[in-house]
Amino acid sequence: MKKVLMGNHAASWAAKLSRVQFIAAYPITPQTQIVEELSEMCGSGELKAKFMKVESEHSAMAACVAAASVGVRTFTATSANGLALMHEVLHWAAGARLPIVMVNVNRAMAPGWSIWSDQCDSLSQRDTGWMQLYAENNQEVLDTVIQAYKISEKVLLPVMVCYDAFFLSHTYEPVDIPDIKLVDDFIPHEMRENILDTKNPKSFNSLTMPDVYMEMRYKIQRAHDRALDVTEEVDAEFQKVFGRSYGVVEAVQCDDAEIIMVTSSTTSSPARLVIKELREQGVKIGLLKMRLFRPFPVKRVKEVLLGVKKVVVIDRNISFGKGGIFADEIKGALANEANRPKVWGYITGLGGRDIVPEALREIALEVQDMDEPPEHSIIWKGLKS
Amino acid sequence: MSDDKPIIFETIADMPEIVVSEASMLWNHTGSWRFMKPAYQNKVPPCNQGCPAGNDVEQFISLIGEKKYAEAKAVLKEENPFPRVCGRVCYHPCETACNRSKFDSPTAINALERFVGDFADGASPKPVRPPTQKTVAVVGSGPAGLTAAYHLARMGHTVTVFEGKEKAGGLLRYGIPAYRLGDDVLDSEIADIEALGVKIQCGRQVGKDLPFEELKKHDAVFIGAGVHQSQKLGAPGEDAKGVMSGLEFLARVNGGERPALGKKVIVIGGGNSAVDAARCALRLGADVALYYRRSRVEMPAFEAEVDEAEAEGVAINILGAPVKIKVDVGKVVGLTLNKMILGEPDESGRRRPEPIPGSEFDVEADTVITAIGEKSDFDFLPDGIKLEWGKIAIDEFGLTSHPGVFAGGDIALSTQNVAYAIGSGKKAAVAIDRFLAGEKMDEIGDRILIGGEGPVSISRYLATGDAHAKNDAFQTVVSYEELNLNYFDESERSKRIHLDKAARLAGFDEVNAGLTEAEAMHEAERCFHCGVCTMCDNCYVYCPDVAIRQKDDGMGYDIDFDYCKGCGICFKECPRSAMILEDE
Repeated sequence: MKKVLMGNHAASWAAKLSRVQFIAAYPITPQTQIVEELSEMCGSGELKAKFMKVESEHSAMAACVAAASVGVRTFTATSANGLALMHEVLHWAAGARLPIVMVNVNRAMAPGWSIWSDQCDSLSQRDTGWMQLYAENNQEVLDTVIQAYKISEKVLLPVMVCYDAFFLSHTYEPVDIPDIKLVDDFIPHEMRENILDTKNPKSFNSLTMPDVYMEMRYKIQRAHDRALDVTEEVDAEFQKVFGRSYGVVEAVQCDDAEIIMVTSSTTSSPARLVIKELREQGVKIGLLKMRLFRPFPVKRVKEVLLGVKKVVVIDRNISFGKGGIFADEIKGALANEANRPKVWGYITGLGGRDIVPEALREIALEVQDMDEPPEHSIIWKGLKS
Repeated sequence: MSDDKPIIFETIADMPEIVVSEASMLWNHTGSWRFMKPAYQNKVPPCNQGCPAGNDVEQFISLIGEKKYAEAKAVLKEENPFPRVCGRVCYHPCETACNRSKFDSPTAINALERFVGDFADGASPKPVRPPTQKTVAVVGSGPAGLTAAYHLARMGHTVTVFEGKEKAGGLLRYGIPAYRLGDDVLDSEIADIEALGVKIQCGRQVGKDLPFEELKKHDAVFIGAGVHQSQKLGAPGEDAKGVMSGLEFLARVNGGERPALGKKVIVIGGGNSAVDAARCALRLGADVALYYRRSRVEMPAFEAEVDEAEAEGVAINILGAPVKIKVDVGKVVGLTLNKMILGEPDESGRRRPEPIPGSEFDVEADTVITAIGEKSDFDFLPDGIKLEWGKIAIDEFGLTSHPGVFAGGDIALSTQNVAYAIGSGKKAAVAIDRFLAGEKMDEIGDRILIGGEGPVSISRYLATGDAHAKNDAFQTVVSYEELNLNYFDESERSKRIHLDKAARLAGFDEVNAGLTEAEAMHEAERCFHCGVCTMCDNCYVYCPDVAIRQKDDGMGYDIDFDYCKGCGICFKECPRSAMILEDE
């Protein structure tokens, strides 16, 4: 069944198709329509889930932690400052190894007060132990949420599905809604071990002495390692059932490329156009779309980028005092390789400013003309003079 | 658990994926961490203590909220045979005590009492004990005497009431005008008292129609003869035609007479009798001016009644005292008054009025009604009954200096009003019941005095009360500061509808209308239920350890002390202080 849905409603539909049993959320632009739609689905009875209204995002995540602890399939959604308010509990959800799926609509952090898109909100939560996936279009939003439950419940890590405010959240696109029976078969909900059970009470997440704490951290990292493979396996299985796949990264015309542009989220779409045009003009350029950010798919990144001369990373985010976060991650992934490319880091599109094809073309041509990246590694594109 | 050896993890593979105990923690009753312990404990709402008649105000309002009107009326009648009367004439000190008065405005308790009295069907109360063969004589059929008779009859005793007047009711019938209290209302409540077997002998005035000695064949006597004698003005011309006392005038009007007053009526006095007389005279077509020797704030009449009188057209004149009544051919023609000024406070604490020299002035009058105070007639009493300050001396429960003789109401109380009279009748009924059984009062007050020092609770005395009584802290009154006001919203108090002025002056129709059912429900919802668990579920909802559970029968909660850690959140979040937190 095809429907024309805004990105936010694609997320709501995905939660419904996943038969989530518990939703706790606090509204925040641009996320509101996701939970608004879900509350209506719960109200009408078409989704048999407990919808809990809470007084803050901190409480929303705390409630999700509690619900996931008893083993029910749990969903929430937030954005920007709401996500920041969850920060403490994000660590808890990951440390307790709870398979919670959360949608984060990427919105710029305040101040200056902004409701528009950039990725600083979710990338600020990079080290909480959550998996992070970034979606390019509304179909991918829906599909990724469904995949996220399968991955999350396999590796026992919470998963954040991110997409751009307004460029997807409020933009309507045709979305194929899969048959719920297929989804049921794809993500059967099985009770895991070690859940809160009043009949067999156990002590959870209690004081952990230095002689074992590090091992528990090690196990979280090991789960992330495993998640790299599981994400690909789930995506492949999804392909078989639903006919669509995304990979942990997507490489477009990279095999003979001399320059590869690295993008994420909706920036990948204008980049596809630009690559096609430049190819027609004889520029040997390719595109690497980053879909999985945590765990970082180092192996896939190396497979695509090693041996290429130049890599240009487009970041709609900034780590103040350093630079674009994707650029930094890419550099880190390649650092020990002898045949590593030179990496240009561009920052653009912060706070919802458009990233238009012309700008990406200019960036590509600029990089083509440069031999070395500038000493101060950040290049701002579109900054007013 | 302590017998088990600690688990040592040798390798990472030994360890669980998350930080979790290997074994069940069922042994770990975390309630052992507790050093404070919550408990449910109902306390006394201030209205209950504030009601001189000892009504269980909170409970009857609670029942109205459940639309259980007959049950609500039964709760009132458990304590007080006169809910319909009190719902009209009581000056409602319960509303002054109401905690809600500090929040927005008090719950309209008085109007609710009238509502339930008028609106509810309710069978007459039954005796709660079998006949005892003991007999009690009651002197006077006012609120004190009839209340004592009512409760004594319910306790199984045989009661005869002796009343000098033609009909029963005392001050309720002959003192309070029909526009405040109609005969039909009074008759219905007296009928309920008679239905219990109380015999009322009207036209039998003790001391005149039968000697007090004759009462001694009864096992006990209660004196509730009230106050009947108007105090004299002490001014020349007082015996002229056209001068009458307020009590005499009110008794005549309430008895159905319509005395010819002429056009100009002057009322002297500032108490309820004076105001009632003025308003009655107005209804008989006169122009009425009231003179009081102090200022408005010192008027002993209920403030609302003074306001009503003024609204109806009574000219309220303060700081004026009569010097002489002007008489022409044996009939009053006017009055000479002095202007007064307030001096130093006298022994009553009120500033003493003093005449301003040379300030005399005259007013014309066809009738002068004097209502400057009343006193009791003690001539009928046998020797040996001690008097004090112009009253029969009694102890807290109404015992006089004479064994077996008890007294209450206006003849014994310094505070003269209907609610106190009813309260004194109840206390005496308890004391007489103990006396007849040959038992001492001992520390019974601890058990039955509401709030430890308030009026008597008959339901506690007779143990007819409901389950609330079990864990009650019957001596603890809940203060405003003990409420959790976060759970209450401001809400406008229902306004009582009053008859318009023209309709009032056309006759003696009742001035105040009762509440509609919808208004009564609104008022019932405004009640805070101070100190009384309403099963609002706050404790249950907020308990972070899920240690509070609803009882299977829906009546209250159990606390699972295996897991209650004594955090006190339940206690703190109780809106109405119906929980306590005690040392473990």
